[in-house]
Amino acid sequence: MAERVLRRPGFSRRLDLAPWRRVLMVALVLLAVAAGSLATGKVPLGREQLLALLEGTHSPVRVIVLELRLPRLVLGALVGGLLALSGWLFQQIMRNALASPDILGVTSGASAAAVSYLAWLAVPLGAWGVPFAAMAGAVGAAGLIYALAWSRGVTPIRLVLTGIGVSAALGAVTTFVLAFSPLTTTLSAYVWLTGSVYGANWHDVGTLALWAVVLILPLAIKMRFAVLAALDDALATGLGVRVQRQRAVLLALAAAMAGVAIAAGGAFAFVGLIAPHLARRVSSAVGASQAVLSVLWGSLLVVCADWIARTVFLPLDLPAGIFVAALGAPFFLWLLLREAR
Amino acid sequence: MITSRHGEAGQRHAGLSRRQTLAALLALGLCPGAVLAGAPESPRVVTLFQGATDTAVALGVIPVGAVLSWQDPPVYPYLRTALAETTIVGLETQPSLEDIAVLSPTVIVASRFRHQRIAPLLSRIAPVVMLEDIYRFDTTLERMAQALTQQAQADRLMAQYRARVTMLRTRLAAHFGQAWPLTVSLIDIRADQVRSYLPGSFAGRVLSDLGFHWTETARTAHGILLKLGGVESLPALDAELFFVMRHSAGPAVRAHEQRLMTHPLWQRMRAPSTGRVYSVDPVAWSLSGGILGVFDLLDSIERQVVEARAA
Repeated sequence: MAERVLRRPGFSRRLDLAPWRRVLMVALVLLAVAAGSLATGKVPLGREQLLALLEGTHSPVRVIVLELRLPRLVLGALVGGLLALSGWLFQQIMRNALASPDILGVTSGASAAAVSYLAWLAVPLGAWGVPFAAMAGAVGAAGLIYALAWSRGVTPIRLVLTGIGVSAALGAVTTFVLAFSPLTTTLSAYVWLTGSVYGANWHDVGTLALWAVVLILPLAIKMRFAVLAALDDALATGLGVRVQRQRAVLLALAAAMAGVAIAAGGAFAFVGLIAPHLARRVSSAVGASQAVLSVLWGSLLVVCADWIARTVFLPLDLPAGIFVAALGAPFFLWLLLREAR
Repeated sequence: MITSRHGEAGQRHAGLSRRQTLAALLALGLCPGAVLAGAPESPRVVTLFQGATDTAVALGVIPVGAVLSWQDPPVYPYLRTALAETTIVGLETQPSLEDIAVLSPTVIVASRFRHQRIAPLLSRIAPVVMLEDIYRFDTTLERMAQALTQQAQADRLMAQYRARVTMLRTRLAAHFGQAWPLTVSLIDIRADQVRSYLPGSFAGRVLSDLGFHWTETARTAHGILLKLGGVESLPALDAELFFVMRHSAGPAVRAHEQRLMTHPLWQRMRAPSTGRVYSVDPVAWSLSGGILGVFDLLDSIERQVVEARAA
């Protein structure tokens, strides 16, 4: 096993190269899918037209590829990656393979807030506020769950149970709002609840990329706590981790990642749950490489889903969220079955 | 348009020498675009909501791209001939941006309510005319006329509208005599709900211009429509004359209408008990959203209300 160890005073890292080779492989697959996705769509483009892009003259083809397909692709990749990373973190912290932003109430919080906004505030204020509402809802729900689960510190099992309870209550709020809102907003609310990257532009991409950097940097610093979080509390304490404090910080990061992703792309379900498992199938080494693999799997899922959503059912351009589960679940089951044999 | 230009060019050629004629014909045959480029090009407009499509046709600018109609897709029957060459660029709620880009439009007409989110992308493709209240057909007409430099045609259309309204108002007054002005309710029956359109709505504004009066409920309500809770709230619609549209031709809507109209609370209202219930076309009365729809609406009032009784 190729292993490098770096030791400096006050800093030491052990780097196992094997899992990173797998990271590279998944990244190459993602790149190939991205290239295919850019080249296909409602308007079929020939090879000459794609090559003409490099010449840099303003043409419809250029607009289609660089202004319509590329930002949509990048936004999908960012949304999927952040959701997957959030799910991976939740699963580490909760020590529960079923933990994910969807199940723990973060997605429900964002949904309830965004749908309420769409129903009552979108007409007087404009739809620009939906991302802010979603983010506030996600962070609010996470805070509420943390507060409710508190009893001289929080334990993973209390967090999971409280999360499921809050999630169910917020789901009821969403249904209630949908039933009472006018027909016109119901449609946009459903699209939002499914998750869609239709109409993504570079500004959206820039905003989300900035958020991603802001949230991933602290995680990179805290990565060893994220790895240790999966251990028993007593064991982690024994290793010198201030368990409650690190847990709170990691939870806040995970909730915020899901929040910004959902704010940008809508309530994509399933990515946060499945991508970390796919990552574990590919490489069982716990650590930064697994986190990166989760991100890549999340991106791959959403990018593939959106590729299918906008090309297979032409002339319809469906919300990508429909296909995340349709794509991820069979693939995941196949991996499980293959392993069992 | 193109054929008439060819015709003019042909006539002019008669006065030229054979060589010039030959050169001109050759040029025309090789690259017709270059020769005809001298004529002002009409704008390539893509319309992203129904009222904009209707208005563009009214202004004589056939859209190169338009969105799918709500009823009788792809295009409302009254616009079929005009839009024979038009590309359909997807749904009003989610137009296909790639198709729009390929059409290389020079102007895009969109609605703030539906297309706010994709406005940045649309404006990368072409200048966007963004309309706020798409049920105001006159505002749509005015804004689009400005963008397409067709103000003269817009003025003609509005003058025509005002003249027709004045004439129809006189005819209505004569027709109803002492009873005029009547109170009116504009009812939209859907499979699962009943809506009442208010004076500020698309057809409501035309009915107000015609001199119809509104019920207390309609006058005091805000917005452009009321949703009725159920049959118990039918009396809120009570007026001397009803225009009723079925939202779609489906059996569920017909069954709902049947249920309502046989209900004692319906039959006790003033319009049904005096036989002043007129079934109207939802395309002209609500879905068209443009001045051509308004003209159809006026036609239908003339035909169904004023002339039917006389015949």
